[in-house]
Amino acid sequence: MAHNGHQRGGDDDDAIDGDDETPTKQPRSDDELPASCRRSEPDGEAAAAGGRAPSDGRTSNSTARRRSDSVKKTRPPFPWFGMDIGGTLVKLVYFEPKDITAEEEQEEVENLKSIRRYLTSNTAYGTTGIRDVHLELQDLTLCGRTGTLHFIRFPTHDLPAFLQMGRSKHFSSLHTTLCATGGGAYKFESDFRTMADLQLHKLDELDCLIRGVLYIDSVVSRGPSECYYFENPTDPDRCVQRPYTLENPYPLLLVNIGSGVSILAVYSENNYKRVTGTSLGGGTFLGLCCLLTGCSTFEEALEMASQGESTRVDKLVRDIYGGDYERFGLPGWAVASSFGNMMSKEKRESVSKADLARATLVTITNNIGSITRMCALNENIERVVFVGNFLRVNTLSMKLLAYAMDYWSKGQLKALFLQHEGYFGAVGALLELLHPS
Amino acid sequence: MHYLHRGDDAECNGSPAKRCRLRRRTESVRRSRPPFPWFGMDIGGTLVKLVYFEPVDITAEEEQEEVENLKSIRRYLTSNVAYGKTGVRDVHLELRNLTMCGRTGNLHFIRFPTQAMPRFIQMGRDKNFSSLHTTLCATGGGAYKFENDFRSMADLELLKLDELDCLIRGLLYVDRVSFNGHPECYYFQNPADTESCVKKPCTLEDPFPMLLVNIGSGVSILAVYSENDYKRVTGTSLGGGTFLGLCCLLTGCETFEEALEMASKGDSTNVDKLVKDIYGGDYERFGLQGSAVASSFGHMMSQDKRDSISKEDLARATLVTITNNIGSIARMCAVNEKIERVVFVGNFLRINTVSMKLLAYAMDFWSKGQLRALFLEHEGYFGAVGALMELLKTTEDP
Repeated sequence: MAHNGHQRGGDDDDAIDGDDETPTKQPRSDDELPASCRRSEPDGEAAAAGGRAPSDGRTSNSTARRRSDSVKKTRPPFPWFGMDIGGTLVKLVYFEPKDITAEEEQEEVENLKSIRRYLTSNTAYGTTGIRDVHLELQDLTLCGRTGTLHFIRFPTHDLPAFLQMGRSKHFSSLHTTLCATGGGAYKFESDFRTMADLQLHKLDELDCLIRGVLYIDSVVSRGPSECYYFENPTDPDRCVQRPYTLENPYPLLLVNIGSGVSILAVYSENNYKRVTGTSLGGGTFLGLCCLLTGCSTFEEALEMASQGESTRVDKLVRDIYGGDYERFGLPGWAVASSFGNMMSKEKRESVSKADLARATLVTITNNIGSITRMCALNENIERVVFVGNFLRVNTLSMKLLAYAMDYWSKGQLKALFLQHEGYFGAVGALLELLHPS
Repeated sequence: MHYLHRGDDAECNGSPAKRCRLRRRTESVRRSRPPFPWFGMDIGGTLVKLVYFEPVDITAEEEQEEVENLKSIRRYLTSNVAYGKTGVRDVHLELRNLTMCGRTGNLHFIRFPTQAMPRFIQMGRDKNFSSLHTTLCATGGGAYKFENDFRSMADLELLKLDELDCLIRGLLYVDRVSFNGHPECYYFQNPADTESCVKKPCTLEDPFPMLLVNIGSGVSILAVYSENDYKRVTGTSLGGGTFLGLCCLLTGCETFEEALEMASKGDSTNVDKLVKDIYGGDYERFGLQGSAVASSFGHMMSQDKRDSISKEDLARATLVTITNNIGSIARMCAVNEKIERVVFVGNFLRINTVSMKLLAYAMDFWSKGQLRALFLEHEGYFGAVGALMELLKTTEDP
């Protein structure tokens, strides 16, 4: 089959290796497209059921095909979303096509245009929705289209408002499949249906996470490297972020710190296992902080923590031993009992809210680090990648984790981090939409 | 021939005079039985655990020769069950008619907060303890931390011992001599079922290998292969001290007993975010039931929920969170060390049936019945017992 100069490899996933082919501005015929991204209509855009002018005789078939789950060889109609409905936050990725032709634009239905404009011309939505502009990926080629990938988040608590918006913008008329992962894809499935007439295509959160991580790391080619680590994590003056290439990433220990924590051992793209998890995660940090300090947001909690001193709150080895516990290599500054000083009324009265916030952060972070280290040891894996929104704007925890991994393993383990932190599940969901596995 | 140091030898046979002669002869030998009083001490991060051997086979002659302050110590300890404001003697744990180092007596178990240590040292000074020239065997971090205080305040020299060595030695000893004829060790049958959950005795015979989880202020996890061969696998700083510290902060309570009392009345599911709160049901793919906790205290980020829970709920959630975290870490260790028996000790479990049952359940459930959680009646005292045994050991083992 002749291609118009955009030869691809034979596999279906050819569009996800980030190749920078120049997109054509003219609509292509089906013959010229690679099998995985064949459009069934020249404009390729979703259109209202009644408003599309069929240009070939396959309208009803193609409509039906598009309406059912994204069939393997069809590029789905716009808009392209990936959604991860977590315990605390909803993460949304939105692909904004930048290669829309004049013709395509003309045929674009109103609500689709309105969605595109609403999302891309705002950085805040309602009172709690936020678009992380600094994470935007430009000039991305996905499924033969070029555009910008946007990263949006809002509290799961506000999902009803989101559904309401979907309903009022007649999202369901776009007949697009909404690929969603995270627990909320299951929990809110019927709400999506009843409130907005939307059918979710539910995906497993860990499958999506891994897929998203591997994809983003492979396409980020400009600006800061997606993957990084901390050099000299214990020395505040010399501690610095350094880029890291995740080529040959396997095996990898992936620690996803959301409301709770999952720890995965990843041996290859399609071979991984959930090693364990812990319920002491980001939700614990925020919940305890709210209770102990009266704060109400993650940002406030972190701000307080940055000002506090956890050693007033925690009982250290030296508080019990008067120094190091040498026999077992426990230095005097190590925490023996988190919050251990707080059983004393005097000490309770002498600590500040900031100290409590700091102690909560340190306790949760170190517990995760400790469990992670045990897993890495047992799975014989040296590289540990930490993701999840607990680490968003949380350099304190990242450095603590970097330090802990390095110190307690005597340099054997390396802690790695990724710029797009908590968005990988949503990216994975988007990829499933475009390249069903 | 006389042999001195094993706890179960047969010197008690024969007439009192004969016993007395034997004893005097043995006392002059270099490898001698130490002078009374016999104490073992474990100075922990929160509590001091003291074991005291009260001889009951004292002859008239011995009693006559006994110095006043020794007599006074003996009387003070055995005729009280509370000392000062915070000292407690756990009478129900007393080991009666024990034979140690050729003497017969009762082993008493006493505890007081480490915070009261200065007062204790003061008492040692007032009772002129140092004149008894007895060695004070002490373990726990405080043996190091307070060493100078003992010396300067009470002219007492501590023989410092490692806490984990003592723990293992003490544990194996108590299990061997048993609890006044009853088993020291037990487990819970049907831990998930509140109606039919029942305590069942067991023995630690053929105890190795075992995973030993010591839950004090903090937690140490040991893999024990034989009496003298063990390693500290790991530890966690989220221990009993964390439970009590957080409870005090969150509920305004002040003691461990108050915290447990509150916890027994609360519902942690009002505080914790469960899998079903996130998934609407089970997370089947990875075998996580809807009732499992996904995020401890996860509901507390919501003002509404904070306003709707009680202090009891918070105490319960703290207990459940700390306990389950320990259980989870213990389980990982057991799997990695390939050990099926997990023994939980330490004063976090004192009068804390909720945690014990949670641990029993967690071990059983998450391992699909492969792992078994075991408990011991003398919970937090094994370090002190081990220290006492070190005192009674001779310089040379037979």
